[in-house]
Amino acid sequence: MIVQFLTYLRERPAMLKWILFAYLGFALVFDFFADRSGAHFWGDHIIGFWSMFALLGILLMIVLSKGLSHVWLERGTDYYDK
Amino acid sequence: MTSSIFMHPAVIFIVGAMLLPLFKKFNAQKIWLVVVPLMAIIQIRYLPTSFGTVEWMGFDLQFGRVDQLTKVFLHIFTLMAIIGSIFGLHVKESGQHAAAWLYVAGSLGTTLAGDYLTVFIFWELMAFASVFLIWYRKRRRSIEAGYRYILMHTFGGLVLLAGIFMHYQNVHDLSFVAISPETATMAEYLILIGFMLNAAVPPIHAWLPDAYPEATVTGAVFMCAFTTKTAVYALVRGFAGFEVLVVMGAVMALYGVVYAFLANDARRILAYHIISQVGYMVCGVGIGTHMAINGVCAHAYAHILYKGLLFMGVGSVIEMTGRSKLSELGGLYKYMPATLIFTVIGGMAISGFPLTSGFISKSMIMASAGADHRLIIMLMLLLASAGTFHHTAIKIPYFIFFGPNDSGLKPKEAHWNMQVGMFMAAFMCIFLGVYPEFLYDMLPYSVGFNPYTSYHLAETFQILGFTGLASYLMIKYIKAHDVANLDVDWFYRRGTDWFMWTARNPISASNEWISNVYKNVGMRFTMAVARALSWFDWEGIDWALDGSARGVVKSGEQVRQFQTGKLQQYIGAAVAVLFIVLIVVVFI
Repeated sequence: MIVQFLTYLRERPAMLKWILFAYLGFALVFDFFADRSGAHFWGDHIIGFWSMFALLGILLMIVLSKGLSHVWLERGTDYYDK
Repeated sequence: MTSSIFMHPAVIFIVGAMLLPLFKKFNAQKIWLVVVPLMAIIQIRYLPTSFGTVEWMGFDLQFGRVDQLTKVFLHIFTLMAIIGSIFGLHVKESGQHAAAWLYVAGSLGTTLAGDYLTVFIFWELMAFASVFLIWYRKRRRSIEAGYRYILMHTFGGLVLLAGIFMHYQNVHDLSFVAISPETATMAEYLILIGFMLNAAVPPIHAWLPDAYPEATVTGAVFMCAFTTKTAVYALVRGFAGFEVLVVMGAVMALYGVVYAFLANDARRILAYHIISQVGYMVCGVGIGTHMAINGVCAHAYAHILYKGLLFMGVGSVIEMTGRSKLSELGGLYKYMPATLIFTVIGGMAISGFPLTSGFISKSMIMASAGADHRLIIMLMLLLASAGTFHHTAIKIPYFIFFGPNDSGLKPKEAHWNMQVGMFMAAFMCIFLGVYPEFLYDMLPYSVGFNPYTSYHLAETFQILGFTGLASYLMIKYIKAHDVANLDVDWFYRRGTDWFMWTARNPISASNEWISNVYKNVGMRFTMAVARALSWFDWEGIDWALDGSARGVVKSGEQVRQFQTGKLQQYIGAAVAVLFIVLIVVVFI
């Protein structure tokens, strides 16, 4: 049953994409109504701050770590066996 | 009160481990594997606040010191012991179970220890028991990784011991209590380094992602729970409020995540995430406020469960397929749906989804950083948490169970006992998220913390959602490549090669040159001097002493001629002397 459900979802990537976008919209709308009385810093007052933070942060980390790997850290899997 | 040592929960596991082969002989190993951890879970409820105090060689040792802090850790350690043992029920080798239990015993012993010597004894027991969990995989890489693991831990243990000795010399007291950052000297910092090695704080962390992916499937489940979290306990006990830990913890949280982007082996990704998650705890210990310490304990409790769950999920895949690299897996959801669900629950919990354990524990550390006005630290931790979601809840399940390409593997679903183990951990992950008071009531300080505020929810919804979006956009680029990435273990893996090369080539060559020089020049010179001295001794000194040496030589020669060396002549002479003596005695 679970397998059938997952296969059903897997065959409909467009639907999954819209579910993701709908969720993102919900997350942003929810932020309008959040109680900001316990704010720690300026970012807490900007609506959608954490959205941008997560999106840019992850993109930055992917670019940074993959870049670091390509120019410096990457070796063959048998590097230490030689 | 030496007898009260027998109520020590570590004793239950040690005796349990020793009796395992016996139970195996009577086909009752599986029952024993459940009974012993259950006994320990019951036992820890009835521990007095102090027991097992022993005087040994002038030192006051305390094997049992129980307070609220100890209790949280004892609770989760014994709970994980039963989950891990059930997960490993199908493993027939008693040795593997015995190693796991001795390892648990070491962890419990350290947690209960009231003095540094007892800490040290159990600390070493942990290292030496857990290395067998790596070696039992019996592959060449595991054997090698095990040796590196034990060497690193021996080094850490020696640093700890040096610190303990110096600490004793300074204060003449071995009791394991909180150290104030103002009074800390070199001794205390050595102890701190010893603890930090086990907590895998960079740059002394590389043993962890080196060894854990090479351990046995069940071994890794135990290892991910005990070594680092016992170190976290030791840090909480001794080093709360040390500022250096705040910075190192936050760096650690990001370091683990960055390296997890690069790893291809599923358990190596998880291993780097242990570093990241323990980073939160180390950071919380450094902040040191009541709320931070509560957060550390809660996070350690939650972390052991979801990390154990993730290692069980990925371990099940390795057990059933024999593969661990993301680039060689894919499409398993049709064959291992239960494992998929449990792994995803673990991934959700570690990323701090609302209604899971990570949400209610991680946020306490984050909030304490915020309340302490440490903005950059808080942002670093939040970024690490976004990265965690990306890996453990998206990358690992996607590439193992779905993936861009089907691996063509058709494995069976994990064994029933593995599923039971995973179910228990998954249940706890959700239970703690829904009913956080269960955990909060155990914490060392009273808690006035509510994780389910609308702002915290809004923050989490956005971070998780937009991390998902970033992953979706970059899905082509996050594909793991089958490569090894350098980490600081390079220094002792390649560094030793360099050392050996230097020893073989320049050092060995210069050694040979020096010995040649000595043979040709030095030896001749020495011989000439010796001859000169001998001539002087013979001709000069002897002449001065009136030829006495020559006299001795001459008389020695005469004595030599007198001694014929023939036994019958000696006996004859002896009998003759005896005869003469008798005649003298009788007749005179």
